[in-house]
This record gives sequence, C-alpha cells and structure tokens, in this order.
Amino acid sequence: MQKIPLDKAKTGMVLAKPVLKENGMVLIAQGTELTENHFSILKKQGIKFIVVKGTPLDLGEGAYGFSIKKRLDRLDYIFRKHKNNKWMQKVKEFFNIYFTYQLKKNKTED
Amino acid sequence: MEDLRTERKGKILAVKDLPTLPPVLEEITRMIEDEHSTPKQIAEVIAKDQVLSAKVLKMVNSPVYGFPRRINTIQHALVLLGFNVIRGIIISTSVFDVMTQAMVGLWEHSLGCATISKIIAEELQLKDPEEFAVAGLLHDIGKVVIAVQLPEEKEEINRMVEEEDISYFNAEKKVLGFSHDRVNAWLAEHWNLPLTTKEALTYHHSPRFAQFHPDFANVVHIADFITKVLEIGNSGDDQVGILYKKGFIDIGLSFKKLAKIMDKVLEDIIEVLTFIPK
Repeated sequence: MQKIPLDKAKTGMVLAKPVLKENGMVLIAQGTELTENHFSILKKQGIKFIVVKGTPLDLGEGAYGFSIKKRLDRLDYIFRKHKNNKWMQKVKEFFNIYFTYQLKKNKTED
Repeated sequence: MEDLRTERKGKILAVKDLPTLPPVLEEITRMIEDEHSTPKQIAEVIAKDQVLSAKVLKMVNSPVYGFPRRINTIQHALVLLGFNVIRGIIISTSVFDVMTQAMVGLWEHSLGCATISKIIAEELQLKDPEEFAVAGLLHDIGKVVIAVQLPEEKEEINRMVEEEDISYFNAEKKVLGFSHDRVNAWLAEHWNLPLTTKEALTYHHSPRFAQFHPDFANVVHIADFITKVLEIGNSGDDQVGILYKKGFIDIGLSFKKLAKIMDKVLEDIIEVLTFIPK
C-alpha cells in the first residue's frame, strides 16, 4: 500500500483505502480498480493523493529525492559516532535489515 | 561566560523582534487561558486573518494529521484538533518563511518529525496523537530563533559542525553556552504552551529529564532520530545522536513495532516530501 499523487496514478491500480468526499461520504470504494472514468471524477473533486495497493512508485532506486538504496548506503556514515556502542549497533542493524528487506520487496513487486 | 550567556538569552528572548508572528497569536493565547472563550469565538479571531486561516487549513489538511477527508473551516479544525494544536500550527506556519531562509531543509525535517511523531503515538495507542504531531512540528523552533536573533553565532555553529565533525547540538553548546532545547524551553514559557508540548520541546535531546510527560519527550526524541536516519530535510546534522534506550523500552516500543512504524512512514513519505504549506 502506498499513498501516491493522483497524477502518478494509472488505470488498473486498485484502491487500498476509499476516497472520501469533503462531506465524508465515500466517493470511490476501497478495492475499486481504477478506470479512466474515475480519474475525471477524482480531478473534479480536487483529490490530490490516493492510497493504492502495492508500491507502484519505486522508492528503492528513488522517487521525490528519497531512495531506500541511498538509505542503506548512508547507514555506516550517519552512525559513524557509535561504533563502540552495542545498543546503537543493534539499532543500526535493525535499519540495515529493514531497508534491505524493503529493497527486495520493491524489486519482487516489479 | 555567565554574563555572555545572560546577554544572549536576552537577545533571543526579544521574540517581539521576530517579524513573523501574527498579532492574532497573542490574542488567542489570551483567549485560550480564558475558560469562557468558545471555539466559535477563537475561530472568528483567526478567520479575520484570511492569509493565516488559509495557511492553518492547509496545514490541518496536510499529511501530518492525515484526516481522511478535507477540513474546510477553522472552527471545525478547532473542534477536531483543539486549541493547543491550532496554536502550534499558527506558530509553525508563521515562521515557515523565516525557517526556510534561516536553515535550508529544517522545515522538511520538522514536517517529517511531526508526521513520524503522530505515527508513533498512534502505533502505541497514546491519547491525542495530534498533540504529539504538533510537538514534533515545533521541536527545532529554537534553532530558527537562534539563527534569526544571533546570525553570527549561527555561522560559527555551522562552521564548527563541518570542521570539527561534532553534532549541531554540541556545537551550539560550545558557541552559545546552551543549545536550542534551552531556547525551546524559554519560548514555550513565553508562549505559555501546554506542559506536554513544553516537555517535548525542552527534553527531545534528553528525554530522561522529562518529569511530567516523558511520553511526549520520548516520542519526539524517537521521531527526530528516525527523521535523521531517513535524512528527510536537514536539521543541521549529517549524523544521528544516541537513541535513548530506556525511553524506547519504557514507552513500549520494540524492533517489531518499529518496523510497523517504518512501514507507515514509507507509505506516506511521498506526500510528506511534496507538501508545501502555501
């Protein structure tokens, strides 16, 4: 599941969360597969972001200046002051495992 | 040294010189303290300033708060979020221009920290996650005030961070005799912010000293840390400080929960990275 700008959404994507109107009513239900028709409705309502299933925007290599790959590459550097702190090494290892997993997940979804 | 420190405190606390804080802020601060004030009355005061109202509504509808539907009126926002959150939003949007000029990347860092503070509070099922968000939003405001009131010292801090490879926090201490967390405490006092926000602002670098609301200090401390790991924006550092282990455990976090929090952060990150409050 990922929140993406409407201009990056494509037909065939599936809503992971419903899109609501300003009065709180459901505009398009969760689980709907988006068609051309939906886009004109969404634009008309001024919707800017929607939540879709999967991770269509690849954060692995990078989007909007953020990249999971770069996070992995930078870990040693930003933790450089804590080489002798066991707890901080554990924390670093957590992020290492987490980002590595996310990177793989992004690749397999492609 | 002591004299110099007092002099600098005085200079910093001349917050009246801060060009950006709207007069409305003083007025609603007074109204919040008056128990007879109603959300409707306070909303009317804010709504008089149309530019400010628009900025507040934009922020209320930002990824930080993540409401599933649009909030269109100040009164509705006040009822949903409460006085203190709205006042925090007024402070943060008012200093937005100064913040982006004084320290490139600090706004994005603050927005990231606010969003992550809310996500952590939600994951831990703490009451009023929006209060945590606003504490995250304001946690580095002292840095802005230092940059505006003491520009020469600010340059010296930057130089020291770069040349001596020390943290921004320690560089502030060396140059000024105190860090932005002190300034935060003075500002919180000056604006009469609620104790929860005050403790988060004052102790986000040293949550073990938070006496009354350690949960606020811990959440913002951890959110600040994650924001630095993700390098969302720039807080003046290119390194992380020590994550306070006892606070992490006391507040009920584990690596398993942290992974869930990270999942949510990554879900929302594009909206956070593309949000501009104008």
